[in-house]
Amino acid sequence: MRFSIPEVSGSVKIVVTVKLVPDTNAEKKIDPASKRLVRAGMETVLNPYDEYAIEGALKIKESLGGDTTVTIFSMAPAASKEVLRKALAMGADDAVFLTDAGLEGSDVWGTAFAMAQGLKKVGFDLVICGGLADDGSTGGVPGALAEYLGVPGFTNCRRVDVTGNTLKVQRETDSGYQVVTGAMPALVSVTMAIGEPRYASLKGIMGAKKKTIATLALADLGLDHAVGGDGAKTEVATIAAPPVREKARIVEAADGAAGAKVIFDLLKEKKLV
Amino acid sequence: MRNVIVFVEHKGGQTRKVTFELATEARALADALGGKAHAVVLGGGAGGLAERIKAYPLDLIHVSEDGDVDRFLIDPAIDYLERVAKSAGPSLILVPNTMYGRDVAGRIAARLNAGMAADVTQFGVEGGRVACTAPKLGGVAITTCLFKNTDYGVATVRPNAFSAQADGSGAEIVAIEKPAGRSYAMTIEDDVEEASGELGLEEAPAIVSGGRGLGGPEPFETVLKPLADALGGAVGASRAAADAGWVPYSLQIGQTGKTVSPQLYIACGISGAIQHKVGMRTAGTIIAINKDGASPIAEFSDLVVVGDLFQIVPELTKLVKESKSS
Ligand SMILES: Cc1cc2nc3c(=O)[nH]c(=O)nc-3n(C[C@H](O)[C@H](O)[C@H](O)COP(=O)(O)OP(=O)(O)OC[C@H]3O[C@@H](n4cnc5c(N)ncnc54)[C@H](O)[C@@H]3O)c2cc1C
Ligand SMILES: Nc1ncnc2c1ncn2[C@@H]1O[C@H](COP(=O)(O)O)[C@@H](O)[C@H]1O
Repeated sequence: MRFSIPEVSGSVKIVVTVKLVPDTNAEKKIDPASKRLVRAGMETVLNPYDEYAIEGALKIKESLGGDTTVTIFSMAPAASKEVLRKALAMGADDAVFLTDAGLEGSDVWGTAFAMAQGLKKVGFDLVICGGLADDGSTGGVPGALAEYLGVPGFTNCRRVDVTGNTLKVQRETDSGYQVVTGAMPALVSVTMAIGEPRYASLKGIMGAKKKTIATLALADLGLDHAVGGDGAKTEVATIAAPPVREKARIVEAADGAAGAKVIFDLLKEKKLV
Repeated sequence: MRNVIVFVEHKGGQTRKVTFELATEARALADALGGKAHAVVLGGGAGGLAERIKAYPLDLIHVSEDGDVDRFLIDPAIDYLERVAKSAGPSLILVPNTMYGRDVAGRIAARLNAGMAADVTQFGVEGGRVACTAPKLGGVAITTCLFKNTDYGVATVRPNAFSAQADGSGAEIVAIEKPAGRSYAMTIEDDVEEASGELGLEEAPAIVSGGRGLGGPEPFETVLKPLADALGGAVGASRAAADAGWVPYSLQIGQTGKTVSPQLYIACGISGAIQHKVGMRTAGTIIAINKDGASPIAEFSDLVVVGDLFQIVPELTKLVKESKSS
């Protein structure tokens, strides 16, 4: 298996993990009965943060040249498969789609556990993840994946340089950035500072139709733990609407002093000054 | 799970208020579960910091000053945390919901095959099980989740959502033995601070935040900062302002920036995009100053003052200053 060979020779196999999420700009609602997001009429799109991961991968491919490849990897319900064409149109070479009814209801743990096994099957030198998923926003998957894959996990990278087998990254921290080095096989997650995702060209869009999207099912993974809703380590007990904020008071300020007075009065009333 | 373990995030022994919030909440949860409250402090300065954390109501503080923790990215810290978790037995691990905290959470959750709850703002204990409440999907839903099928749970906790209460009880400080036979692969070559060492945004009681409406870098210093100072708070920003290079990204609030819960949030020249909103909508009082009364921020503010921020903010700063000196 390629996964177990740490020597990287000329060609680097990059796999980008891409989540498929409900349209980021759509108004979101929860169905009180199923406690699930109402997806009806809502388009499924590539997680916007993963477009940055794809961009990062394509940049590395361009800088390395040779036989370097970019494979898209996604775990999602069967109906969403064709959404991956967009990633292929951006310039990825092929895709692997992990889909199975038994994966439904997976939590962070189950997602990372199943994906890790799938990624091992696919083989890689470098896995690139987005920083977080727009729908779940836990940001926990990349770290957990690195752990299950048993490879170094460079998270929140804004710059990734590959030289031979080695990686040098600049990663964002809460107060600045770090420069960190290591070797492949490895996982990195990227931030938006990696560079704006490119648009698919017309040629890219046409070409994407002919690219391969292979599928993997649960049975192909040979997992030794239950996943999906049954195996999940968390369960949702209740879903409530947020406390309603009273409608904002909207005040036109005649001038600076008048506007300031309105605010100051509220601060006093709330004992904030 | 019966025990609670606080992972302490710090730099050279300097920590944020959230550490003490977690320590205080850990006590309450451990009592409700009938277990012990632990903390783990790792790396340079850990010993001194443990002495400070001792003032909070914990049972045990596990310490290692191993230089590997600062030399190598995350892996040594996870090894130590795993060691403490295994020796404590089934537990809930609390980490701050920060960039580093989220990394720690994902890694340790996988290491322990544990459940993970993100951005928790409230805990409960129901029939011996821990319930974690967190806003989801940009705040349209408040979910409460329970752990199952696991001995361990990991929660990233929103800073400023819990109160910190020292009681001087004096936890016992114990050294953690170095995990044997490990070698580490990610070497930290350089660690650069871009934000000044001022009050962390996450713990500021008041945030005066600026967006594209500021028009450039100077007004952050000359218009917003004086108001933030007068309120005893900090300056924040929208992504548009950070993208424009007017402020460092470390001041950015929102989905790809910091998640904050101050008592007071004043948004100046910020339209209130969904990605901004998810980072601040749990603030106590939200006030917007905007030229456009119909901008989205009006949907989740308490007060919108429609007008020019360059005229309003300096006047407000004067009023706040006067009220303090009188
Ligand atoms: C994947 C992704 C992630 C993102 N993450 C974040 C994030 O974490 N945080 C974030 O903030 N954004 C984020 N964004 C960007 C977000 O969508 C908005 O583009 C951004 O928040 C807009 O910033 P703004 O409100 O400062 O600017 P604008 O939307 O341009 O609003 C400027 C406002 O200033 C007002 N104004 C102008 N002049 C004045 C004046 N003199 N006085 C008073 N009011 C004035 C205008 O009326 C307007 O409402 C993200 C976007 C994407 C796609
Ligand atoms: N179901 C999935 N399929 C593929 N990649 C995923 C999936 N879930 C999460 N990821 C990856 O993990 C990153 C962080 O997601 P999260 O931890 O869920 O916020 C995403 O940007 C993706 O790269």
